Amino acid sequence: MQLSDQRQIKAAPAVVWAAILDPEVLKACVPGCESMTGSPADGFEAVVVQKVGPVKARFTGLVHLSDIVEGKSLTISGEGKGGPAGFAKGGAKVTFTPEGDGTLLAYEVEANVGGKLAQLGSRLIDGFAKKMADDFFERFQQTIEGPAEPEPEPEGDAPEGEAKKGWLKRIIG
Amino acid sequence: MTKVTMTVNGRKMSGDVESRTLLAQFLRETLDLTGTHIGCDTSQCGACVVHVNGAAVKSCTAFAVDLDGAEVRTVEGMANADGSLGVIQQAFQDHHGLQCGFCTPGMVMSTAALLKENPKPTEAEIRHYLEGNICRCTGYHNIVKAVLAASGQDVSAVAAE
Amino acid sequence: MPKDGGIGASTKRREDVRFLTGAGRYTADIDLRGQAYVQFLRSDVAHGRINKIDTSAAEAMPGVLAVFTGEDFTGMGGNPAGWLIQSRNGETMKEPKRPVLAHGKVRHVGDAYAAVVAETPEQARDAVEAIISDITELPAIVDMAQAVADKTNRVHDEIADNVVFDWGWIEDNRAAVDAAFKTAPHVTTLELTNNRLSPNAMEPRASIGDYDAGTGDYKLYTTSQNPHLHRLLIAAFVMGIPENKLTVIAPDVGGGFGSKIYHYGEEAVVLAAAKKLNRPVKWVATRSEAFVSDAHGRDHVTKIQLATDMQGNMLALRTETLANVGAYLSNFSTATPTFLHGTLMAGPYKTPLVYVNVKAVFTNTAPVDAYRGAGRPEATYSIERVVDKAARELGIDPFEMRRRNFIKPDQYPYTTPVGLVYDTGNYDATLNKLVEMVDMKAFETRRAASAKAGKLRGIGLSTWIEACGIAPSNLVGVLGSRVGLFDAATVRVNATGNISVMVGAHSHGQSHETVFAQIVSDKLGIPASSIDIVHGDTSKIPFGMGSYGSRSLAVCGTAMVKAVDKIIAKGKKIAAHMLEASEGDIVFEDGSFKVTGTDKAKTFGEIAFSAYVPHNYPLETLEPGLEETAFYDPSNFTYPAGAYACEAEVDPETGKVTICNFWAADDFGNIMNPMVVEGQVHGGVAQGIGQALLEHAVYDANGQLQTGSYMDYAMPRADDVPFYESDFSCITPCTHNPLGVKGCGEAGAIGSPPAVVNAVIDALQRGGHKNVIHIDMPLSPSRVWAAINA
Repeated sequence: MQLSDQRQIKAAPAVVWAAILDPEVLKACVPGCESMTGSPADGFEAVVVQKVGPVKARFTGLVHLSDIVEGKSLTISGEGKGGPAGFAKGGAKVTFTPEGDGTLLAYEVEANVGGKLAQLGSRLIDGFAKKMADDFFERFQQTIEGPAEPEPEPEGDAPEGEAKKGWLKRIIG
Repeated sequence: MTKVTMTVNGRKMSGDVESRTLLAQFLRETLDLTGTHIGCDTSQCGACVVHVNGAAVKSCTAFAVDLDGAEVRTVEGMANADGSLGVIQQAFQDHHGLQCGFCTPGMVMSTAALLKENPKPTEAEIRHYLEGNICRCTGYHNIVKAVLAASGQDVSAVAAE
Repeated sequence: MPKDGGIGASTKRREDVRFLTGAGRYTADIDLRGQAYVQFLRSDVAHGRINKIDTSAAEAMPGVLAVFTGEDFTGMGGNPAGWLIQSRNGETMKEPKRPVLAHGKVRHVGDAYAAVVAETPEQARDAVEAIISDITELPAIVDMAQAVADKTNRVHDEIADNVVFDWGWIEDNRAAVDAAFKTAPHVTTLELTNNRLSPNAMEPRASIGDYDAGTGDYKLYTTSQNPHLHRLLIAAFVMGIPENKLTVIAPDVGGGFGSKIYHYGEEAVVLAAAKKLNRPVKWVATRSEAFVSDAHGRDHVTKIQLATDMQGNMLALRTETLANVGAYLSNFSTATPTFLHGTLMAGPYKTPLVYVNVKAVFTNTAPVDAYRGAGRPEATYSIERVVDKAARELGIDPFEMRRRNFIKPDQYPYTTPVGLVYDTGNYDATLNKLVEMVDMKAFETRRAASAKAGKLRGIGLSTWIEACGIAPSNLVGVLGSRVGLFDAATVRVNATGNISVMVGAHSHGQSHETVFAQIVSDKLGIPASSIDIVHGDTSKIPFGMGSYGSRSLAVCGTAMVKAVDKIIAKGKKIAAHMLEASEGDIVFEDGSFKVTGTDKAKTFGEIAFSAYVPHNYPLETLEPGLEETAFYDPSNFTYPAGAYACEAEVDPETGKVTICNFWAADDFGNIMNPMVVEGQVHGGVAQGIGQALLEHAVYDANGQLQTGSYMDYAMPRADDVPFYESDFSCITPCTHNPLGVKGCGEAGAIGSPPAVVNAVIDALQRGGHKNVIHIDMPLSPSRVWAAINA
């Protein structure tokens, strides 16, 4: 299946670009990600737990970044083996375009599954992949911007407030 | 392994089961009641339907370990006390409601459950109720006819022969 | 009137009692002492190169007894295709080896490439999951047109264009056919797909291998429609076991529909493992395995053209078909799109010129082979759709269009332009019977009622013929078959007068145990209750070829009748001796051997007893015993035919099709048991309706099976079908077998799909959707809705 979408992020392209190369950010944004280690150059090793319809599996696999045009676009691709559940692989071609103060992040996602996942869950895959992509980019956006609707910070609860600030605010101050 | 005891077709029967053992497996492998058939692995085909505490259940969806003390009835328990075919079984034979016989145990058990809750079902009600039992041989015509007959309804108007 | 319980009676089935009480004995129900269990590792990619399979972790798992990979079977032969097809250019078809377990490459999702034997099925499964395989995924070849065009991606490395053969039938007629099209007043063209189906016998495949180290004998219990054919394939082609050291037992089998004709690699694995471990090894497929590993059916893409004059007289017909064979050649896969398809392309019509071209194509999908009807549904669908379209284009009533072109009763034997000789038939009779059943006036009333409710109602017609009773060895030999297709039966009269009949046919729903006993009872005047039909065990039955192609009664039944005739002849000899009469004066009547014109007689029981207590036999002229075997190879196929009509209602809001009525008027020749025949028609029609409206085995572009469970593969269920009306009172007995029978098992599946599709198109046309001239099967709500709203 293939889908494309875009979203507006309130941060400069350079900031957004830096975020997407950060394994910590990736880990936080990939739904169900248990661990993510590695670097943009060598790729990341990831463990992800997901449930597609009747099939729940822990996928271990590699995520790598390619077609990198510094600050402008890249392709994130991953392939995970879920043991008896089969495999899942997919990629997102992401472009970063300055728009006003922020960045227009556009993505085209492609996802494929095999084995039991495909056999039992094929009718669910499109919806599943769309949700995965939406979740990923939603979390990504939130990580950068902080929660979309920041709740009033309770007084005297600085550490939590700190955490809610988002990645951008944490790195810039 | 956990020991479970069930009353199956009126007899108390016990066996050791793993927590993952399905009722269908327990009946077939531990109790050697192979009349209950396994035709799929997604709880769709209905070949494994049995009665648990009076209700029709796909025995591939129930864990044996959960059913300690349950009353279970299988196709092996559907004949009359003298060994002759029960009313539903006889209707299936009379109306050629089976060919290869593989889906038949589930059909018989589902029919029994249907007639218990709806003693005089219409054709449409029968077809709807048996939606969870797949038969590849009969095209359902003679199954529906057999269920109508088993419920005491006149089937002389249904098809020739 | 039929004799009570004899030929023509609707005798209730004796096999039902065990099936209804849970006492049936299917392969999965059998446990042998000390048995181990095997599970298979199946490819989850459609196409890949196997670099390395690391089984060390699996071998160390609890309970594991042995692990096999393709490497272990490289010394064995390939599982062969049964028919050798020649291409138009004279080349022999491509026939890559089909190994027991995939070796070097995996070629479809579900292709087994390793196996684990363990003490329990769970241990075997756990260990399968511990095998680490390094497989480089290759581009999947799924679409047939692309497979042919693409010269770089190859299912089999040595076959550049993925084409098995390019077959022309009959090649010498091609020029004449093309010439006729050039001058034809009218040409109707249709491009259509015959959708890929999953057979789905309700019993998944299962096998148990057993080996006796003391004698060196192998035994295979397996879900087979033809145990002798299985034995022959395993012995002569795959494993090299001497045929007399292998027994194949097919006990109760829960449906076949073609999918259990074939030998599959799992059977060789259980046998090899049983020998290696010296203990029985059992395998029972899950439904998920069945979907990806059973041979599928149909999967043709066809362009058909019909040339007519303006009055609808058919002048010429030609087709071009791509036929998917999947990743490997299954046993009948090369016959199905050719000689079971091309030879039927004349249908019941006197079209003088017909040419058929079929390219069979390898793809990275499960093997495709014969499925109920096998080739003949594909032929019938193409013909009956294009005839319907032509009638519409020419403004001719579809019933009249067919009548105008039927071969007429005085034209038999009729030689078709595609190589068959129809021995007998009367297509007008079955069509007239159908018209009577349908009552077109009542249809108009029902249609008006539907219209009031906002629904579109239509009626569709299909007049079909098939060549079945699959046999004539001399004929199939000419056509490329590597096996004979006779059948055999042994009638053993026991000393106490009861009878065991050992038959080569196998019953997996067809009712042989009842119907064959009816026939023997009728012929011998012995109660059917004293007659047992024995089938499914090569150590008991003579070498027969099993059940498929609507052949059991026409071929094996005839062998049985011939063996009974020999019993009667032998009985006469014995009676002549006992009654001190001349053999020529003995007649056999009502179960007794009589001296004609006298009251001297011996009962059948007395003759049987004497045969085994031959105290004063003239042994030089009269052998003891009363047991006879007959092999029967007919001189021709049989040609059942019929006319079907379907009445369907379309909801234009949703595209949902409801089958309101289905009528079948068939000519099956003489009828042995009407109840059973009717049941066969019902089942076939339901499968046809399933193909037309519901069923579709779908692979995505990566070769993943998208419809791999009953959640996604839409099987016909009780509420998808109506009560059917079936008639088989139009009878033209087969001219070349003594029972005058033709075969009825596949009819429904052959005749019904075009009737359903024609009905839906008719409904849409009558409803004003004049632009809808064709929708490919299955006619799902989304496809119908899309066609309406295009």
